[in-house]
Amino acid sequence: MDPIILGIAAVNGIVLGGLYGAIAVGLSLIFGVMRVINFAHGSFLMIGLFIPFWLWQLFRVNPYVSMLVAAPALFGLGYLIQATLIAPLYRRERAMVLEPLSVLMLTAGVGLIIDNVTFMVFGPDFRGITMEFASKALWIGDILNINYTRLIAFLASIALTVALSLFLARTDLGRAIRSTAQNRDAASLCGINVMRIYNVTFGLGCAVLGVVGCLMIPFYLVSPSIGLAFGIRSFITVVLGGIGSIPGCILGGLILGVVESVAAQFVTATSASIFSFVIFILVLFFRPTGLMGMKV
Amino acid sequence: MRGQRGILIALVVLAIAAWCPAALAGEKVAEVKIGAVYSLSGGAANQGNQTKAGAIIAADEVNAKGGIPALGGAKVKLIFGDTQSKPDVGASETERILQRENVDLFIGAYQSAVTIVATEVAERYKVPWLVTGSVADKITERGYKYVFRPNNKAIYDAREQLEAIATLTKETGKGPKSVGILVEGTDWGKSHAANLREQAKRLNYEIVFDEAYSPGTVDFSAQILKIKSRKPEALVIAMYTPDHIVFTKQTYEGRLDIPYGIHSVGAGSEDPNFYKAVPVEAINYMFVQEDFQIDMVELNDWAKPVDKKFAEMLGYGLTSYGAQGYSAIYTIYDVLQRAGSVDKEKVRDALAKTNITSGPATGIMGWQKIAFDKDGQNVDAHGCISQNFKGKRTTIWPVANRPKNIKPVWPIPAWKDR
Repeated sequence: MDPIILGIAAVNGIVLGGLYGAIAVGLSLIFGVMRVINFAHGSFLMIGLFIPFWLWQLFRVNPYVSMLVAAPALFGLGYLIQATLIAPLYRRERAMVLEPLSVLMLTAGVGLIIDNVTFMVFGPDFRGITMEFASKALWIGDILNINYTRLIAFLASIALTVALSLFLARTDLGRAIRSTAQNRDAASLCGINVMRIYNVTFGLGCAVLGVVGCLMIPFYLVSPSIGLAFGIRSFITVVLGGIGSIPGCILGGLILGVVESVAAQFVTATSASIFSFVIFILVLFFRPTGLMGMKV
Repeated sequence: MRGQRGILIALVVLAIAAWCPAALAGEKVAEVKIGAVYSLSGGAANQGNQTKAGAIIAADEVNAKGGIPALGGAKVKLIFGDTQSKPDVGASETERILQRENVDLFIGAYQSAVTIVATEVAERYKVPWLVTGSVADKITERGYKYVFRPNNKAIYDAREQLEAIATLTKETGKGPKSVGILVEGTDWGKSHAANLREQAKRLNYEIVFDEAYSPGTVDFSAQILKIKSRKPEALVIAMYTPDHIVFTKQTYEGRLDIPYGIHSVGAGSEDPNFYKAVPVEAINYMFVQEDFQIDMVELNDWAKPVDKKFAEMLGYGLTSYGAQGYSAIYTIYDVLQRAGSVDKEKVRDALAKTNITSGPATGIMGWQKIAFDKDGQNVDAHGCISQNFKGKRTTIWPVANRPKNIKPVWPIPAWKDR
């Protein structure tokens, strides 16, 4: 196999992998702090794609500007769902330890409702936007080309993750979130309003998808069923990188992206995803906490 | 005890009374009941409702002109059943319509998986079924006596795509030696790829790239890269709408040059949504194999009112699924005219002897003939292949369907020359 081709495949994989990582960040954050697997993750991404789509379609708002609308909107939606639907479960359970199954059912139910309501309102159609800028690519030599919108999505994904890590490390709210993740009882004793932290965390996890949706829509498309594929992939990314680890997410995403892209040069793309799953199983075998996960 | 027996007798009498008029009425029928089993909800709701609209338009036309003369002006009545896009529901709806409405014949059911099981029910009751839209080869390969398919079998699609390439090669003296195949990795894509391989062998095209991808792909750069390194001279693809949008955008931004074009088999590239989501330049010169002649309405004045009514019902112009519903009703009109009866055996025999060469049934589709072989397959069925010129699809194959002043662009210009 031509090394140049493989090199290009690796570059393509890295660009895609960064995006996979960013999609998974919200899931990882919510799981790390709340120990809740958000099964509605893909559905929130779908909303995150629909907002910039409609803003473009109706008012010709540049998707990158739409972030200013999509991120707060999804933060609000996530906050609201946690505060009104998931919080009562916490209050019902003793010692604030949730029966994982009940939350799992709940978030899966929320996902189904979101998907079906959008289906009723917008119909099954696949929609995309066509921007002049979106069909331009950065050319290096004659054969390597990276679409600008994909490149922007990659760079922004990395920036977003760094920003989120800094936020968690440096700010008071971030520290409160981390302490809640480490030990909610102790956090509660220190005067942290754990339920509020949960609301904010869930909101943040969704807000990330608002940003990612705006980054993706120029080169991708949206339909009410689009979230499904991303939900599963995000879950693998999170477990691969280490649950609750933000940099781990990006690492997990990059591995998935590069492996699939390079392997696809040797076997068909459908078989290439086998390699991701093999790596996934190996990691679970030898490092159950994920590549960058902490020992619990 | 006595009272109960009385009720029982009364019921039997009633049942006979209810059955008698239908049985004794003979050839003087008030209306012809056509069961129309379609996916009116669920994943394939779009296509099901398009066929429904086409059938309604044709039925209204027939009734407005005084029904079916050979049956004393009997009106056509369509009785719709919703399959919810599921095979099991399709079968039970078929049974329900049969029992409740005692329909004379059926049309349906777009999705092959549904048609396969629903026609089983109809065959058991010996009720004729005119297939619309379903292409699975198996449907007319089971030795059924009451199932007839005017449209393409799956294998025809692959044959047409490669024969169109061969035709253009013959016309111009230039053409590809190698082809690439890229299909979505579920039933439809894979069986299409298998058919393409068979046809490529027959027509002596070397396959230098042959892949399936998983549906819902975010990124085709790996495949496009591979295509660039294998250099097929023509590329045949089978994709549903979402993948087709992503792929087309990426071939455009990556300037993928395929000298003898990208040949898409209709699915994603038949969907009006696809054309809304990709830049016009990205699809320039693309070849699309469709179930009907896309520029039919434009070329034929008589089809314009059909297109207008269709647009009033669904908000966009006539589609191949709509045309198939329309064609089916006119095929049935022809059949009943010859049968002169709604007796199911007579209708079946008339169907088997169908030989339509003109009129709306063939016209709306761009077909030359509807006639069934012993398996109930219309061997003269064909799709039409269009080439895209700046966003407008123009039929270029079969040559008989190509508008007079149209010359296909072959080979297509490289990106740097556009």
